[in-house]
Order: sequence, then C-alpha cells, then structure tokens
Amino acid sequence: MRVTLLIAWREFMENVKTKGFWIGVLLVPIVFFLIFHISSRLATATPTRYFMLIDQSGEYGGAVATAISREHQRQVMQEFMRYLQANRVDMGGAPPPQAPANQLDQLMDDFGNDEVSALDDWLSNGGLDMALQMARPYLREDAPPFTPPRRQFIAIDPPADLDTSAPPQTIVEYMRPYLNGERRLQHDGTAVPLFALILVPANVAGDVVRPDSLERLMLSDGTPTGVQYWAANLTDTRLSSAIQGSLNNTIRQQEFAAQGIDIQAVRDIQRTRLPLSRLDPGKQLGEAEVSMADTFRQWAPMGFVYLIFISLMQSVQYLLSNTIEEKSNRIIEVLLASVTPGELMMGKLLGIGATGITTILAWITSFFVFLQLYQTVETAAIVQILDVLLSSDLIPYFVFYYLCCYALYAGIFLAIGSLCNTLKEAQSLIMPLIMILIVPVLTMSFIAQDPNGTMARVMSWIPLFTPFTMMNRAAAQPPMVDVVGTTIVLVLTTIAVLWLSGRIFRQGILRTGQPPRIVEVWRMLRRRRV
Amino acid sequence: MSTPVLTLENVTKRYGDFTAVDQINLSIPQGSVYGFLGPNGAGKTTTIRMILDIIRPDTGHIDVLGHRSAMDVRHRIGYLPEEKGLYKKMKVWAIISYFATLKGMSRSAARHKAFELLERYGLKDFAESSIESLSKGMGQKVQVLASIAHEPELVILDEPFSGLDPVNQEVLEQLIKDLSANGQTVIFSTHIMQHAERLCQRLLLITQGRKVFDGTVSEAHAIIPRRVVLETRGDIHSVRQLDGVLSVQEQAPEDGSARANGIRQWELYVKEQADSQQILQHCFENGVSLSRFDFTQASLHDVFVHLVGKEAREHNFR
Repeated sequence: MRVTLLIAWREFMENVKTKGFWIGVLLVPIVFFLIFHISSRLATATPTRYFMLIDQSGEYGGAVATAISREHQRQVMQEFMRYLQANRVDMGGAPPPQAPANQLDQLMDDFGNDEVSALDDWLSNGGLDMALQMARPYLREDAPPFTPPRRQFIAIDPPADLDTSAPPQTIVEYMRPYLNGERRLQHDGTAVPLFALILVPANVAGDVVRPDSLERLMLSDGTPTGVQYWAANLTDTRLSSAIQGSLNNTIRQQEFAAQGIDIQAVRDIQRTRLPLSRLDPGKQLGEAEVSMADTFRQWAPMGFVYLIFISLMQSVQYLLSNTIEEKSNRIIEVLLASVTPGELMMGKLLGIGATGITTILAWITSFFVFLQLYQTVETAAIVQILDVLLSSDLIPYFVFYYLCCYALYAGIFLAIGSLCNTLKEAQSLIMPLIMILIVPVLTMSFIAQDPNGTMARVMSWIPLFTPFTMMNRAAAQPPMVDVVGTTIVLVLTTIAVLWLSGRIFRQGILRTGQPPRIVEVWRMLRRRRV
Repeated sequence: MSTPVLTLENVTKRYGDFTAVDQINLSIPQGSVYGFLGPNGAGKTTTIRMILDIIRPDTGHIDVLGHRSAMDVRHRIGYLPEEKGLYKKMKVWAIISYFATLKGMSRSAARHKAFELLERYGLKDFAESSIESLSKGMGQKVQVLASIAHEPELVILDEPFSGLDPVNQEVLEQLIKDLSANGQTVIFSTHIMQHAERLCQRLLLITQGRKVFDGTVSEAHAIIPRRVVLETRGDIHSVRQLDGVLSVQEQAPEDGSARANGIRQWELYVKEQADSQQILQHCFENGVSLSRFDFTQASLHDVFVHLVGKEAREHNFR
C-alpha cells in the first residue's frame, strides 16, 4: 500500500508539473469566459444593415416598413428586459416583482404571435416611455438611464438614375452589383453596402395564395412570385421573416375587411390567452409549479456528463502517455524489480485519478471566481442555478459515476498502454474506444429529453455507457430497478475490467515489438503466469 | 565460504522454440564481484530477469538471499537494467530518492543518501538538473546510483559500462570496488573483458543460453595455453621442435616498418609448465636474433573468443 501511494504521489506530482496540465486547467475557464463574453457582446454588435424598398404596387410598402419598425421594437424590448433585470431593486431574497415582468411577457408573447396590434398598443401607449414608467418603482436608485439599441435595419433611397417603375427583372439586373457588394450606395454622405433589396411588383396582389389557389401554385413555372427579397446574406433571416410575417398580417386584415369581419374583434381574439402551468408530479401541490431552476435541474445532468467526458479524455491521455513513457524508456524494468505490477497499476490509477479530480476542482473554483468577479444579469442567473445544483442530489450521483467511469476506462486504457511502445501504436488501438465514448455525448440531448425512454434504459444497461447515461437520467427519477441494477452491473464490470487489465498489464508491460494481435491478448488473459 | 547469496539450479527458459537459457547452474558467494560474460543474445539479460523474478523460468529453481522469489527480498536487491531509462522530467536527486523510497527507505533518508552519493561520485552540481538535460552517460551514472541508494545486499548491473567514457568507466569500477569492500555482492554483465579482468573474482561465461565456463579469473586464463610472441628476421624452424611448444603461427607484425625490414612476427603456444627461458636460450644459442620477445598470459579476451568462437560470430550477425 505504501508503495502504491508513493507511485500515485509521483504520478500526481509529475503530471501537475507538466505544461499540458496547466493548459487544461486554465484553458477551459478562459474559453468559457470568452464564449460568454463574446456571445453577450455579439448580440449587440451586429452591423447596421441597409436595405432598399421599391414598392411598385403602392399597397404593401407600408407593411414592409411596419415589419422593419417592429423588428427594431423587438430589439428595444429585449434590451429593456435585460436592463430591468440588471437594475431592479434587490428584494432581499423575496421573489422579484412579477407585475412588470408579466406585462412584458404579454407584450413579448404578442410579438411572437405576429400581432401587429400589440406593437400599436406599445407605441400608442408611449412605447418605451410607458414601459420605463411601469418599471420605475422597481428600479434601483442608482440605475443608469436606459439607452435603447440603435436601429439595425435602415432604409436607403434607390440610386437617382434607377427607374423604379421599370420591370422587376431590369431593376434586379441593375442592382445586382450593389447586392454582391461590388458597388456601394451613398447614405448620409458615406458609402454603405446594400444588405437587401425588397421589391414589391405592381401586380403582386395577383400572387396572394389562398387555400383554393394551391393548385395554381403547383403549376408555377419557377419565376418568382409575390414580394421579392434579394440578399447575398441568406443566414441572417431576421429581416426576411419579419417582412413575411408583417405582409401576411396585412393581407389577412384585408381579407377580414373584405369578408366583413370586425378587425378589432379579431385583434382582441388573437390576444386572448389561457395560461399553461408546467407542474412537476414529484413535488407537493403548491410547490409543484416548474420554475426556471427546476427546468435547469432537468438539464443540469448534461453538464455533468460533459464534465465526466472531458475529464476522462484528459485522464486517459495521461495514463496512456505515462505508461508508454515508462515502457519506451525501459524504466518499467527497474520499477518491476521494486514493485509488483499490481501495485504499479493501482498507483497509476490513483495518481492520475487524483490529477483528474484536481483539474475538475480547479475548473469549479475558477468558475466560482469568475462568477464573483464578473457580475452581470446572466451570471446572476447562473449563481441561482448553482445554488439549486449544490442543494440537489445530483452531486453524489456525479461523484459515484465519475469514479466508476474513470476506473472502468482507465483500466482499459492502461491495458492498451501496456501493450504499445509508442503513442502512435496506441492511437490505432484506442480509436474504437474513442468511438464508443462519443456515443453518450451524441445521444446526450435525446436522453435528456426522454430520460426514461427505451433508448435511455437500454443504454443504461451497457456498462461502457452506464456512467454517462445514468448521470444523464439522474434528475428524472429513473426507476429503482434501473438505478440499483445498472449500478451492480457497472461495479461488477469495473472490477472485472480492472482484474483483466491487471493481467494484460502484467504481461504486456515487458513486451517489446509490435502490439499483439487479438489472439495473443486472449492468450495473455488465459495464461497463469509469465 | 559463507552461504551463497544466489543459487540457480537447472534453470531453463524457452520462448516458443527458442531456448534463451538452457540448464544453468550457478552459485554466487556473499561479498564477491561476479561477472556474467557472453556474446550478444547469449541469455545474460534473460538470466538476470529470472533472478529478479521479472520473468519466471520454465524449469529449475532460483534461490535469492534465501528466498524463492526476488520479489520477497526486493528491498535488499539493487538492479540496473540493460536498457537504461529514467523519467525525463524528474530532477536527478529526486529520481534517486524516489527509487530508494520504492525500496523501503524513508523519504528523508533517501533524499540524504541521494545527495551523499551524488557528491561522492562527482555529480553534485547536477543534483537539481532534470534528467533530460543530462548526457546519456551521466544519465546512466545517475541510474547506477539510483539502483544502489538503498544499500542493497545484492547489486545486479546489466551492462553497466556500455556507453560510458573511460573516465566514468573508472568511476564505475571504483564504485563496484566500494560496494564489494562494503560486503555487498555485485553481479554485472559485460562483454568488455578488461572490466571483468580487473574487477571480478569469479566469472560466468554463457553462449546460446548454455554455461561454458564458471570459475575464477585465473582458472579462465588457464583454459587457453600461454603464448610467446617473437619478432625476428631469422629462421625459427628449430624452435618449433622444442619440447613444450605446442604450435607456432605467423602473425602480421604490429609495426609496419619492421615488416619492411624483413622482420616477421611469430606466436608460439606453449604448455602451461613450459619454461620461457628455455626458448630464449635456444634462440640465443642458435643465433636467432630477436627484436622482440614477449611471454604473456592469454588475455580474458582470448579466452572469450576461444570459448565462444565461431558460434558467436555466426549468431551476432544472424
């Protein structure tokens, strides 16, 4: 035992001293921080888009303009929500003020429901000013003033020499160099790129699709119908989908009017809501309402699965390279004259296991430090979520499955390491294992969505997947038979794997030359003693 | 003589059809310096690995320090393997200390001993360097120190001299003498005969897994006849007839100018009891003028070549 600990200590100290270890420890928090930082910056950093509207019909141009204005208001709303969360009065643990949030919810919902009238309400009630007034009692005294985001879509006039009444084909041909970025347009004295050209042809009313016109649509000859949206950038769909929604709204209102339906009644009907409460059967009535924290708790296991996976990949890397170093340097022979192969293997498992745990602890610590230093709305939410996590029963699951997973895979990787003389040889042997390891990561989100479904249950019983899958399901109260049964299978398999790899290790470790074929490995397992 | 430190009885090891070690018997007394000699691939390393219980013999018994397995007494054994290697990133003193702690020494004692050894064998300045910054030879010296830091009763060194410069070879010879003077038993394998000749009390010579010689150095010398080397311009025909001369062979003279002057070199193999004075006197009386007269014992090198001979040459270049 003393010797095992000596070996473990050396492995640990030597790994901790490597550059790779520190890169691993520091890189993850840095990458995490950067992703966090950049993504929150990117949201507001989208460049201003210039579009050009040519309305030959004289009928739908207004709808398009409304759509763009509405898209801007949506941005204002979202910014305002953030502002509100960041600057609301600290209620000392009491739930945050619900009233404005609920009204804002209603507004956001209306936007989501393609309801132009909600925007009308928002604007006619003073829009942002009203919202600010509504929120003022809940804001901290030192709250900075709200700065609405700048407009992201700005209308631009057609070039002076373009005949806007020309056939669409001609206009598009003329505008093509601008759309491709080859030429720029003048706006307020500066040359700006054209993002999109929205062309409403004169006869566009004839293209309106109604249920009875579906047949005609089938016979379309491929020429564009309806409003034409020309843009080189097809990934930013905010403008095009806003326009589409707004156009449909306009058309529908015209239809209502044409059929003699009271538009105001329709608007009211469209804003009618029946709330849906999401409830958790595992809790008492009264606390059963599914909060954001509960939702997070359901998804948190995925984070743990990732953590197990990343840490495992790091640990097995160390196991392989250290074992192969000892083999290729022939240190192994001195070691084996001093310690038994069993002691050597256990020492390695412990030492490198400790390295992995240290890395995880370092990540968690840096994560907390990060949350302390970088306080924003999002991190405040994460702190809440962490409180939920730490008080949940997921931590013991994580510790157990982490250790089992490590022991299971480390045993296999050690055996492989003992058979190879170079990392190159080892790589071809570990390839299938890496494939297997990717499966739980690929299926992770499916299992999180259906934690007690057939796939989740079947995978739980495959020992190589058990730690990942059961961790994934941990928050969903899997059936007792699954928890106990798979745990027994997992523990037994882990013991068997460690025992078998001990045998391979003992014989493989002194081998030189090519890695053995499967048959030889089988012989190693069966042979009593070298 | 006291009880043997190590005995091997009929030890055999096969790898498939290949017999690496064939029926070796051996007994090594305490405190001796014992040389394992043999050509490459003779089975020296396999024998050493079996002694250390890293691999098991197929048949036969090994008794180390009164135990069936070296693993039971591994703290009392020090081992330097043939293929040297150390953890590249570790510091010199730390690696010596680490191996000593694995052999049961306490951390502080091991550390103390490491610095003491480094000082005594001229590596003090490198104590804090990492192994990868050392030359190969220095690394090898460190490894030798690592194998003896725990003061083992039995020290087994596999090819300890290979790769060392002459100065360090001398340091290592001194180290082995120190160990022996301290009552520790040393077994080392080598194919450099001069070291064996200077250091060993007893020798084991194996080839193709079989023992061909086991005895003291002087017994080894006695295996091949003594030689007399002559250089002369004259006719040595009559010398051949002398009693005690077994055979005569002409050799190429070492000195090229001598050959140009018509001087020829002859090697006479003589009986063990033969009197060299008689040969000298014969030459003098018959007017054979000598430019060189050497009466030498056969070197261990010659014994080695004589015993291993043709077989080894064939197997070396297999």
